[in-house]
Amino acid sequence: MKRTTTIALTALSAGVVLSAGLTPTFLTSTKQPAHVSAPAAARRASGVTTIVWAAGTISGNGLRQDMVNHFEKLHPTIHVKIVQEPSNTNTTRAQLVSEISGGATSPDVYMGDVIWPGQFGSLHLALPLSQHLSKSFFSRFAPGLVQGASYKGVVYGAPFFQDSGFLYYRKDLLAKAHLPVPRTWQQLMHDSLVLQHKHMVKYGFVWQGASYEGLTCDWMEYLTDAGGQVFNKAGKPVMNSPQAVKALTFMRSLITSGVTPKDVITMQEPQAMTAFNDGQAAFLRNWDYAWTNSQTKGQSKVIGKVGVVPLPTFAGHAGTGYATIGGWNLYVNPHSKHLAADLTFINWMTGVQGQTILATKASEIPTNAAVQRNPQIRKLNPVLSIVSKTHLIARPSQTPQYPAISLAIYSNINAALAGQVSVKQALQTANSQIAQAANKSGL
Amino acid sequence: MRLSKLERRSAIAGYAMLSPAMLVIALVTLFPIGYSVWMSMNTISSTFTGFQFQFSGFKNYGIVFHSSLFWQTLWFTTMYAAVTVVVELVLGLLVALALNQPIRGRGLAIAVMLVPWTLITVISAQMWGYIYNGIYGVLNYVLMSIHIINTPFLWLGTPTSATISMMMADIWKTTPFVTMILLAGLQLIPSELYEAAKIDGSSAWNSFWRITFPLLRPSLGLAALFRILQAFGLFDLPFVLTNGGPGTSTMSIAMLAYQAIFNNGSFGPGTAVAVVTVALVILLALGSLKALRTQVGEIDT
Repeated sequence: MKRTTTIALTALSAGVVLSAGLTPTFLTSTKQPAHVSAPAAARRASGVTTIVWAAGTISGNGLRQDMVNHFEKLHPTIHVKIVQEPSNTNTTRAQLVSEISGGATSPDVYMGDVIWPGQFGSLHLALPLSQHLSKSFFSRFAPGLVQGASYKGVVYGAPFFQDSGFLYYRKDLLAKAHLPVPRTWQQLMHDSLVLQHKHMVKYGFVWQGASYEGLTCDWMEYLTDAGGQVFNKAGKPVMNSPQAVKALTFMRSLITSGVTPKDVITMQEPQAMTAFNDGQAAFLRNWDYAWTNSQTKGQSKVIGKVGVVPLPTFAGHAGTGYATIGGWNLYVNPHSKHLAADLTFINWMTGVQGQTILATKASEIPTNAAVQRNPQIRKLNPVLSIVSKTHLIARPSQTPQYPAISLAIYSNINAALAGQVSVKQALQTANSQIAQAANKSGL
Repeated sequence: MRLSKLERRSAIAGYAMLSPAMLVIALVTLFPIGYSVWMSMNTISSTFTGFQFQFSGFKNYGIVFHSSLFWQTLWFTTMYAAVTVVVELVLGLLVALALNQPIRGRGLAIAVMLVPWTLITVISAQMWGYIYNGIYGVLNYVLMSIHIINTPFLWLGTPTSATISMMMADIWKTTPFVTMILLAGLQLIPSELYEAAKIDGSSAWNSFWRITFPLLRPSLGLAALFRILQAFGLFDLPFVLTNGGPGTSTMSIAMLAYQAIFNNGSFGPGTAVAVVTVALVILLALGSLKALRTQVGEIDT
């Protein structure tokens, strides 16, 4: 007995030490050794530089490789290796923060959200592009984009494609039921109820209601359209306003009326997209790519049955609703060992040729002004002709504290949508947490 | 306690042989912990050439202890650990008692039982995500086809049901681990004790409480300890299954540290959360160890 006890206790204490050590391992990974590109010497000998491009899926049809192939043909001395980024922007960010703050030299170039310049600039996770590229480089972009990619006057990202929210609808169903394309939110709700009542479709309207960045985007559209703001001009959080109550009450009523399935509170982009592509919903709020996505064989049952318009507005307002500005920039890892190749790559990707491929093979909005204006490209890309008609709204992302601010927004809105707290309570909590976050508490 | 010359010599040899292993443990365990403690006591800024530290004492801890989110995640993690560990111990004990009988197909039963434990949590969590899904989830399908519910239920949609759903996934995965430890403990109990009890006319129920349970206490304590330590590091299951939602109601303390460090870039406060967790886990471990040791002492006398 005595002997077994001693053995058990030794095993125990070893277990304690090991388990205690397990908890903080992910902390130390912030300081992981720099990746060494092993066969670099071999490639240098053959005169080819390999750069790693971390990029998320664009429209899901091999577009990235297509663009890279074009680029490599023109620049035979540069080989671009694509590394997949996760579909959830928060996960992508966490990965890049841990890699780059730890001094990793790879990826060399990465696709990053438009809301990152504040945080990535202040944490030095992105190369200040304006210090390495001339002013004339930045004049190719559509107005406002370069400013959006800057923090404190320094440009950190090269705008790659622009994104904004749209309303996708089933034109076949609306025609069959003799309904107009909704211009107001109330109309959308009414149309949905009619279609659902006639058993023509299971759900009315699907969107992004999960507890993640995407919900902040959706929320900004309702909030701004109702006349509300996150911060007032003096920088004070004002999200517990009557306007915000109106916006959130409407979103919640979409769920309680059955127009939107309860599941919306767990839906990120892919889940909402799948429901629409499967023909389960009459309306979808999604970004540019949803056009191509809904018209691709093998992944959509609604090819040829989809229309796209600006997002609706609240009844009584003229014009269209608001669309949140999204999109992706190309950033350079400040530890990259192939700066010249990185900049050559960025130059081509944001140039006329790269942007034309992006705008015609995928329904993305090009950032290159010349491509954006080209009438022939507009004809091929229905989203592009609509974007000029819509009101755009930016998220309050010009601060390094934005991630915590956004967490305060989407976690509380999500709780209210779930019916877990009242609309007023959620907005009040959100507002005080936003104030805390903006106050640099750091948690 | 005085050691003889011989004993002392063998003790020195023993420590000498242990020292390489101890050195490795120190490097991979003590250094990271020490470094984290150091990080948590600094204001850290990330620069192009690496991190810059500026000593700030307990400032980060002040931030952590004033954060309502910290207390919420701490409560969630503690409650989650308590419930899952108790349920897993009870279930694990029942299964282990069954498997300790000389029944046919016991080897096969043990092999099948171990399948959940061998699956990687990220993968089994994805699987549970599909099972719980409100639109095409198999759980709703089964419950609706046998008329237990009429409309699909959103399992991950409310804090209570999301927590319970997550606990189910955890219990399904980890009970086999507890069972294995308890089964090993059961097989150490000499069968003569049961034979003697039988001759004395003791019932099976009585034998369990007078023989099995007291002698199994060290194994139960060991299983509980391992499980408590794991449960406090809870990360992958909520990360995949709920992402902490709805709201932040299923956010574990490890997720909070991850969120602070990698999403917010708040390296100082984030490491402070992690250090508080480590301190808590060490205290719990020492507490359980002490409880275990006194129990073992009781048995010896």
